[in-house]
Amino acid sequence: METRALRRTLGSGENALEILHGLDVVIQPGEFCSIMGPSGSGKSTLMYLLGALDRPTGGQVLIDGIDTKALSEAALADVRNRKIGFVFQFHYLMPEFTAEENVALPMRKLGLARRPALERARELLGLLGLAGKEGRLPGRLSGGEQQRVAIARSLANRPLVVLGDEPTGNLDTKNGELVFALFERLVREQGQTIVVVTHDPRLAARTDRVVRLQDGKVVDDGPARAVLARAGERS
Amino acid sequence: MRLLPLFGIARRHLLHSPFRTALSITGVAIGDCFMVLMSALMAGFETKFVDETVESSPHVTMLDEFRDPPDEFAGWLSDQEGGLVAVESAHPRERVYRIKKPYETLAAIEERPGVAAAALNVVGTSILNFGNREVGAALVGIDPERQDRVVSTDTYMIEGRLADLHSASGAIVLGSGLAERLGVRRGDTIGASLRGSGEAGGREGSTRALRVVGVFKTGLVPVDAVRAYTLVSLAQQLLGLGRDVNRIVVRLDDHTTAQDVAADLEAMVGYRSESWQEQNQNFLSLFNIQTVITYVVTSGITIVAAFGILNVLIMLVLEKLPEIAMLKSMGYTAADVTVVFMLEGLAIGALGVVFGSIGGYWLQQLLASFPIPMKGLIEIEHLIFVDPPRIYAVAALVSFASTVIAACLPALRAGRLDPVVTLRGRA
Repeated sequence: METRALRRTLGSGENALEILHGLDVVIQPGEFCSIMGPSGSGKSTLMYLLGALDRPTGGQVLIDGIDTKALSEAALADVRNRKIGFVFQFHYLMPEFTAEENVALPMRKLGLARRPALERARELLGLLGLAGKEGRLPGRLSGGEQQRVAIARSLANRPLVVLGDEPTGNLDTKNGELVFALFERLVREQGQTIVVVTHDPRLAARTDRVVRLQDGKVVDDGPARAVLARAGERS
Repeated sequence: MRLLPLFGIARRHLLHSPFRTALSITGVAIGDCFMVLMSALMAGFETKFVDETVESSPHVTMLDEFRDPPDEFAGWLSDQEGGLVAVESAHPRERVYRIKKPYETLAAIEERPGVAAAALNVVGTSILNFGNREVGAALVGIDPERQDRVVSTDTYMIEGRLADLHSASGAIVLGSGLAERLGVRRGDTIGASLRGSGEAGGREGSTRALRVVGVFKTGLVPVDAVRAYTLVSLAQQLLGLGRDVNRIVVRLDDHTTAQDVAADLEAMVGYRSESWQEQNQNFLSLFNIQTVITYVVTSGITIVAAFGILNVLIMLVLEKLPEIAMLKSMGYTAADVTVVFMLEGLAIGALGVVFGSIGGYWLQQLLASFPIPMKGLIEIEHLIFVDPPRIYAVAALVSFASTVIAACLPALRAGRLDPVVTLRGRA
């Protein structure tokens, strides 16, 4: 996954606001990368562009070699379905569906029949420590469990990359740690590529690499400890 | 597009809020139900009127006049331009109309294919009195046996029989309304004013005693209130018509062909021939207007219900904004999301139509079981409903279409939602 001279402007004319100013970021397969930066630095915008939810104003986003700018809406949706898994600050689970049905939703869109989709959903939920809770509605799960269901859902179609936009932002410290531990496990054991936006340096320190953004530009990019150390020295 | 998962999402949305869903379905059902009910009621009245009319009145009536009467000379003269004569206040010449060569004409009519029976009538108005009561009557002179083949009057007799007209020299059969207004029953003797004109007219101003030998009730109030039957010869005497006949009444094998047959007979004989539809065109157009009003009013109910669905679905879309954004981030397209909400609208519409149709049918049975006597154009003891499948189909179509149209707006809106805008707003 790669961005080339990526620009994103919101609004037009006098009200135009340039959020990203020509970003060049390459995410390697199997990498656990965190994106940090103050509010308004363009972290979430970058995530939406990397996840093919949004289109760049300039430059390119290449997902598995595919330039998202040239794709139709339907093709873009297909890229999201096959290659991207999203985890947001809020779990956004369907309250009418059980945990396993929520996890099965991306697979059903992919064309998997209900039964095999639910089998894989149960498998994923078991992997994330939710065995026995597959049939519960989201309202009957704790915040941490809900977010783990959301992670299971992001992994449903074996995506190229899981994008997490402050996935621990709505969790307490214990559950936040748990979610990050899960991410680490997925990267180490399954080689899953994960990119997360986080404000928390402690959690960022557990990733392989940190990209720091400020005012829509990459101000630092490298191994997590080094980038965080430089950030500490500056502050 | 794979519809099965979309069906699943739509189904869960509806089932998750049963009260809201039930409310929407009820809205559609009420609109559909009342459209069925009102349409069936209107159709019931119209069918009752038409049935009674085609049974108790001739299908075609040949009159003793022409559709385009010859111009009066004075009228023609006054219409001429550049002349020296001006004619004002010209009165039409008094003319005794009659059907010439009635028996030959009757025979010719009876030979025409599609004609089941025909009979000669003498028709005119007469004043009937009983004590100090005087009532105007539409007197019809008939041959009871022939007449009964044209108009099923005998089946409507509530006292006596039509053939009883032969039982006395001055026998008369009255409509129930007429008998009621006069205050007479079978066996009473009433008086009828004699009209003096005509070759064999009676003495002007004198009355003839008549014996009431029967009473009929067709259920058509305008008929029952004025019509009276006597033998042809008596009617000729009472109306001062000598031996003239001024109507030929015709029954057809198929009453729906009356307009065509009337036109044919008029072309064949020349006398104005009116179908039962033409004779009752005021009432029939009233029914048409009523039907239009019914559809407009009940469509209004349906449209109000559709606005309810529009509201419910807009609220649902607003409530589901994060889930819609999530569905799109999972790869569901705008069309998928639109289809989900359209399916919800379709399901509400379909269930509303089913329950509305059942409710409409059930309400008809219920209302028809109560005695609700009414006397207007027709006389009934309880409400009459006629519900051919067409009524259910039209109501279903209108209700379903308005629901689908109402669902379109929120569904399209849901499909067009930009997930990034929603996610930014929530972050």
